[in-house]
Amino acid sequence: MRLPSHLPLFWTVCLINGVVFVVGALVLVFSPASVSADPVPSELVVIGLGLVVMILTNALLIRWALAPLQRLITRLEGIDNLAPTRLPEEGSGPVRGIAESVNGLMLRLAEERRAGDARALSAQEAERHRIAQELHDEVGQSLTVVLLGLKQVESQAPASLVPELAAVRESARAGLDDVRRVARRLRPGVLEDLGLASALAALATDFADHSAASVRRSFAPGLPPLSAEAEVVVYRVAQEALTNAARHADAQEVELSLQKLGDSVVLEVRDDGRGFDGLAEGSGLMGMRERAALVRAELSVISRPRHGTTVRLKVPVGVES
Amino acid sequence: MIRILLADDHTLVRRGVRLILEQEADLSVVAEAADGAEAVQRVRDTQVDLVVLDIAMPRMTGLQAAAEIAQRRDPPKILMLSMHDNEQYFFGALKAGASGYVLKSVADEDLVGACRSAMRGETFLYPGAESTLVRDYLDRLRRGERVPTSVLTAREDQVIKLIAEGRSSREIARDLHIALKTVEGHRANILGKLGMRDRVELTRYAIRAGLIEP
Repeated sequence: MRLPSHLPLFWTVCLINGVVFVVGALVLVFSPASVSADPVPSELVVIGLGLVVMILTNALLIRWALAPLQRLITRLEGIDNLAPTRLPEEGSGPVRGIAESVNGLMLRLAEERRAGDARALSAQEAERHRIAQELHDEVGQSLTVVLLGLKQVESQAPASLVPELAAVRESARAGLDDVRRVARRLRPGVLEDLGLASALAALATDFADHSAASVRRSFAPGLPPLSAEAEVVVYRVAQEALTNAARHADAQEVELSLQKLGDSVVLEVRDDGRGFDGLAEGSGLMGMRERAALVRAELSVISRPRHGTTVRLKVPVGVES
Repeated sequence: MIRILLADDHTLVRRGVRLILEQEADLSVVAEAADGAEAVQRVRDTQVDLVVLDIAMPRMTGLQAAAEIAQRRDPPKILMLSMHDNEQYFFGALKAGASGYVLKSVADEDLVGACRSAMRGETFLYPGAESTLVRDYLDRLRRGERVPTSVLTAREDQVIKLIAEGRSSREIARDLHIALKTVEGHRANILGKLGMRDRVELTRYAIRAGLIEP
């Protein structure tokens, strides 16, 4: 039996109470039982029993009517913050209403969170960009001036000062190398200057320089242009995937590819390393997912122990987030 | 006398570079520019043999300016000066028509040499790019891919592995107990045998190897 779904909770309870009272009254009227003006004990027993039956029936009926609400509360408590699922919109009246509005609320919260993440990440990228730029343009240029100036001074200095000046010049050079390395890690200038394929190629070279694994790269020619935001996401996901391959996977060979698939551009980073079970890789994967969500890209990570890991990012072309 | 145009958006860097170049009797900076567009303009109105361009400049980047200057009839030689230790910029510079790429962090040592090799019509190979190319070549060889095979001598084989590890000529000379000049000779021979002798060959190889986009 199902209560009509538009009935408010208040009226449901009233209805149940009313029905129980009416049934009780009808039994009293139509059964042979009667109550004298001066009730005898047997009559009191019958009335007592009747009352108990009525209260129990009432309680059971109300519990039945409220059961969906109880289930809803249990489900609400069980909602996972990180992977919210939709509540089943079942039950009647108020319960269905609550489930519907909670679902709506969760949808809005998820959307809000996505927007918040997007703001945070783009603020972070902008800040990195600014710092990298300043390192390059200010600190880097000043150190270049120092380096060239020292060389000039060295050529005119008395011989006794030359070794000291040369040592200082080497420090300036080391400083310049540091600045460049830090700036590059903060923000790959090559992405803006030369485009995504070049930036990924540079990433692959960098990876080969700093790990034992070799990199095979294949970038399809004539890929459709992505928004600047999407390019940063592809770059960062590739960077993270390569970092994981180098740091945890113990891979021998890594394949980095960028292809066109229908209306999407697909990045794939495949290694032949250790692989892992479950998503126990720490914050790296979560970061990749957050970034992917920014440009409505799909991220899939397939990994099995001893069979390597494949990170695949499918970015729809022409989506502004 | 080699007449040089110097383009960099930082006045002090320009001054430093000019001082380094003018220590040499045969090099003379005859014009300066503060951005790419101005450099292109100076090349139009001044007779120069060599243009030294900073890669990152406002208005028009060094790469854009290089591409435009290289389009001229009888263009001057072009050298790029860069903060970026990244072979993609190096290949980008070659594609744009430059014949050399000098990192700012070694400009005090390499710039004069690079100017001279550019004027001799040689490519000044930026060391990072050389080891990238060579390492890629060795990877392909190991995977059994078809590569331009030519027989390297046993010594060249030793040298190519050290280049792939990113060692400098000086380090290689020390490790193999041979003279620096001999190492330089081996390097040149190896690159010649692999078909990476000049700008055009290098660019072609890098495109074929998928190191850069065509």
